[in-house]
Amino acid sequence: MAGEGAPTWEDVARSHGRFLYMVAYRLTGNREDAEDLVQEVLLRVRRGLETYQPGSMEGWLSRIATNAFLDDVRRRKRRPEDRLPDEPDWVLPPTRGADEVLAGEVLPDDVQAALARLPDDFRAAVVLCDVVGLSYQEIGESLDVPVGTVRSRIHRGRAMLRKMLTAT
Amino acid sequence: MSHLDDLLSAYVDGELTPGEEQRVRAHLDTCPECRRELQFIGEGRSLVRGLPPVDPPFGFYERLLRPQRRWARAAVGALAAGAAASVALMAGAAPHEPRVRPNVAQLVDAHTASASTSGDPLSGITPAAVPVSFRR
Repeated sequence: MAGEGAPTWEDVARSHGRFLYMVAYRLTGNREDAEDLVQEVLLRVRRGLETYQPGSMEGWLSRIATNAFLDDVRRRKRRPEDRLPDEPDWVLPPTRGADEVLAGEVLPDDVQAALARLPDDFRAAVVLCDVVGLSYQEIGESLDVPVGTVRSRIHRGRAMLRKMLTAT
Repeated sequence: MSHLDDLLSAYVDGELTPGEEQRVRAHLDTCPECRRELQFIGEGRSLVRGLPPVDPPFGFYERLLRPQRRWARAAVGALAAGAAASVALMAGAAPHEPRVRPNVAQLVDAHTASASTSGDPLSGITPAAVPVSFRR
């Protein structure tokens, strides 16, 4: 089943379980859905380990997690595309100086809540970039979109998140 | 050159070509609005990157990795079913009236049949077997 030298799903869970759970939590925004997503990732790993190519295990797991997450989102149609905020108000900085709100004043729970409010496609790109640390090229391959789209989603996602935290 | 927009995120992430990076720097030198947005975007980036780790619930992976114990679940199920069947059998085999001796129901019936209905507590008493006479 697994390819030569490929890790077993037990190895994945033991060696990268903490990382995988964190990515799942950042994507889903709550523990219950994160647990479900981790289980789905492990099932996909179990079925698809033969496609594993030696490299970044965490990048590979993140790709599986993100695709499983977005598959689930599309299946549930929880957030239709027409909810994507295209209004300039969402992506432009506020008129007051951004330095009026210091990063140190923002609680992690508030950041997580703002992250969870981003459109799913934006959140996936931001998580892969700022939580996992993938390059734009890797993110584009993970999400099957051009690098220009990755760049736009990350930028707009960050701007929206920062604006939400300014307003609170 | 128009405003930089999403080039700014690519700039802070080091994702621009050298030529693009040079143009972005040149624009930033002359555009306060883009400098402000650069700071704004950089703060959003730092906030997400600064999030603390999140640990899975205690024992989460241990439960996931535990071998599939279908035989154990089946055994438990069989035991439970057996216990329930035993209880049912015992209940079915039990007499419908409690085994109490003497039989209270019979005593009550007998007493009811011989009990006085006149309110005279002595009327039901059996007469003495030996006649009694009085001599003068």
